[in-house]
Amino acid sequence: MFKSRGAAWLFVLPALILLLLFKVWPIGVSFFESVMQTSFSGRRSFVGFENYSYLFKHDPTFWNSVKVTFFYSILVNPLIIIVSLTMALLLNGGHAFTKFFRTVFFLPTAISFSVVAVIFAVVLDPYYGLANSFLKLLGLPGQPFFGSQDQALWCIIWLSVWRSAGYWMMYYLAGLQNIPKTIYEAAEIDGANGFQRLFKLTLPLLTRTTSFVLVSNTAFNFLMFAPVYIITRGGPRGSTNLLMYESYTSAFVNSDMGRASAITSILLVIILVFSFIELKITKAKFEY
Amino acid sequence: MKKPVTIKNILIFAILTLTSAFFLIPLAWVLASSLRPAGSLYEYANPLTWKTFFPANITLENYRKIFVDLLFGRAILNSLFVSISTVFFGVLVSSMAGFALAKFRFRGRQLIFVIVLVTFMVPFESIVIPLYVLVRGIGLENSYAALILPGVGNGLGIFLFKQFFEEVPNELLEAARMDRASWFRIYAQILLPLCMPAIATVVVMTFMFQWNSLFWPLVATHSSRFEVVQVAVAANRMSEDTSWANLFSAAIAGSLPPVVVFLFLQKYFIQGISGTGLKT
Repeated sequence: MFKSRGAAWLFVLPALILLLLFKVWPIGVSFFESVMQTSFSGRRSFVGFENYSYLFKHDPTFWNSVKVTFFYSILVNPLIIIVSLTMALLLNGGHAFTKFFRTVFFLPTAISFSVVAVIFAVVLDPYYGLANSFLKLLGLPGQPFFGSQDQALWCIIWLSVWRSAGYWMMYYLAGLQNIPKTIYEAAEIDGANGFQRLFKLTLPLLTRTTSFVLVSNTAFNFLMFAPVYIITRGGPRGSTNLLMYESYTSAFVNSDMGRASAITSILLVIILVFSFIELKITKAKFEY
Repeated sequence: MKKPVTIKNILIFAILTLTSAFFLIPLAWVLASSLRPAGSLYEYANPLTWKTFFPANITLENYRKIFVDLLFGRAILNSLFVSISTVFFGVLVSSMAGFALAKFRFRGRQLIFVIVLVTFMVPFESIVIPLYVLVRGIGLENSYAALILPGVGNGLGIFLFKQFFEEVPNELLEAARMDRASWFRIYAQILLPLCMPAIATVVVMTFMFQWNSLFWPLVATHSSRFEVVQVAVAANRMSEDTSWANLFSAAIAGSLPPVVVFLFLQKYFIQGISGTGLKT
């Protein structure tokens, strides 16, 4: 460590200013806005926790969004973890074709969520979509997909897995690369079979990767917006009305900034609580 | 690494092929559809034939139309300008801060590190509304600066650089100080070249983040001068008479830049991830 204080501050200052201005300040304002109310005449007044208590007590739309968001998150996060981890494990053997498949799996990640949303809106079209053609080929009845209250959210889950799994696979591949080969050789000598090696060695040794992937992915999915905005607009009948979209409509369609800020603040607290719990769980499991 | 052909390997190959079909089929269809004459999108989707994935008469008319008539080129240039500027300034600013946090002891260092951690724990989307109020307040609404600046200060980037710089031995820097090298020269000529994987990682992350963002550009700009790719794609989907042919060619053209960036940097990207605190 060096002690040139002047130099240190010069190096850190640009980043610090940008972070304070564009990150810390908005975080503060977000909480501030959520305890204010703007009247129709444009006057702002302090209302304490009224925005929050209104949400919690008299706002069925909000509660529906909470339910939808939790349902979505609880399903989509484990699914993405399982798919990305499986893909990484399959690719980790160092086969001749590894590089090709790695690129294919990562490809959807390079495509934006808006474009992915547009693609799946057409692929899952109830009348002419590609998915229904495949179902027909297999002799199964066509499905309404985004048109149905029961299926729309599942379609968004499907879309998320398709888009994100390849990205987190990269983190798992990097994690797998760091496991020394000698550990496996030792295990083989001790007579551990493939399953034992997977569950007793590989997965525990990937705990730090998993905890990073889980925490980042959870935050990302709590803030899912593009597919709802582009395909379903929260419908049918509120079945895909994720909190982020509800906050957006509140702010930019209904011009209710107080309610919108309260929703994003709640979302932020939910994310932090989830991150904390996930870090606790993944840490407690394994020490080496 | 050459491996013997065993039943296990064939099985793995089969599973991988099936999985890639899951990823590739929608993409192949979009690509094929974008090369078909406009108006025949659904014609080949149902029932399935080989023509579903291989257009019989290939035309670039859809691409000509989006670039010439619909000025999609403008959106691509906007996105490129915004993404490349953010990447450039982001790497510069984050690596400088990472250097300071990794190699200097000074008062406030701990506090700054906490700020860095908090800002990468708090996701960007959740502060979009107050950020919009701020940007409007300082008169940056509807400008390139509004699109670029919020992405430059990047907590995760600073964190990655800090982790990487800590691995560089202090003796190297001390020797350079003996030779009267300035701190800036040490940073630019010794540290940065040693940290290519970290740079590649931050480049890929920042580029993808900016190229793919929809929510913030939607909120912060509202004239077609500043329309970025994602907003253009979303706007087309929203309009009354959505032209799917245009949309699909826009989807393909709009996805090429991040694919190219990733293909060039993927090796470093993986090294960068595994070279940091994400080690197992």
